[in-house]
Amino acid sequence: MPTHGSISMLVASLWLLNAVLGTGGQLAFKAAAGDPAAGNGLARWKYMVQRPWLWFGIGCYVIEFMVWIAFLSLVPLSQGVLLGSINIVAIMIAGRFLFGEKLTRLRVLGIALVALGVAIVGVAG
Amino acid sequence: MKHGWFYLFGFALLIGFDSLAQINFKFAGMHALPMAANIAWLLRVFGQPWVYGAVVGYIGAFFTWMSLLKHAPIGPAFAASHLDVVSAMLLSIPLFGEHLTAPRVLGAVAIVAGITCLGLAESREHVSDVTAP
Repeated sequence: MPTHGSISMLVASLWLLNAVLGTGGQLAFKAAAGDPAAGNGLARWKYMVQRPWLWFGIGCYVIEFMVWIAFLSLVPLSQGVLLGSINIVAIMIAGRFLFGEKLTRLRVLGIALVALGVAIVGVAG
Repeated sequence: MKHGWFYLFGFALLIGFDSLAQINFKFAGMHALPMAANIAWLLRVFGQPWVYGAVVGYIGAFFTWMSLLKHAPIGPAFAASHLDVVSAMLLSIPLFGEHLTAPRVLGAVAIVAGITCLGLAESREHVSDVTAP
């Protein structure tokens, strides 16, 4: 049943799981692609498929795919896609802590605005 | 920007593929109700054409994104890759009979403003790459 207003516990859990899997997958791909020992060309791919990060990333994305379908079946699409924007925030913050990517003032402002938008949609529908 | 129209077409194509994916995700979910964490639900999802439409949208978006990254400025490309939020929201009105509630419009405005800031931040960091004559 499409919910109007505040989202349910199940929807919130799927939303959170989607963000965790999306972020985990993205970071795993970053770890796989950013390994300086990987080399170039075909050798780079051979190196990556023999290590867990690439597969971990693919696994996250496959599960996220199913979680996202489950999530969207419970909320209106317009609300769902807006709530899904939290992944942008999660990935940027995780990138800051795990890869030391800089958060400039403009980035912080962008992250805050996206988070604010998600909060409005999550609380008021 | 010499290839302005080319980029614009690329951005539009990216948003198109992403929207196609989101719409098909929604249809896939709707047609597989009731949602449950079991095999029967998975069979309902994969027994209908919608989920494959979503896969086509994803693959199309992936290759469009990859070719855009090669040529287009990163900031606008980043922004375009997230603007399916707005297109999917607008398409949900005729396709699913959804309503643009005030909180959704307000939330979308804040999110688009945030994405614009993040796109600008990306552009600034890669400013050395776009020193066009």
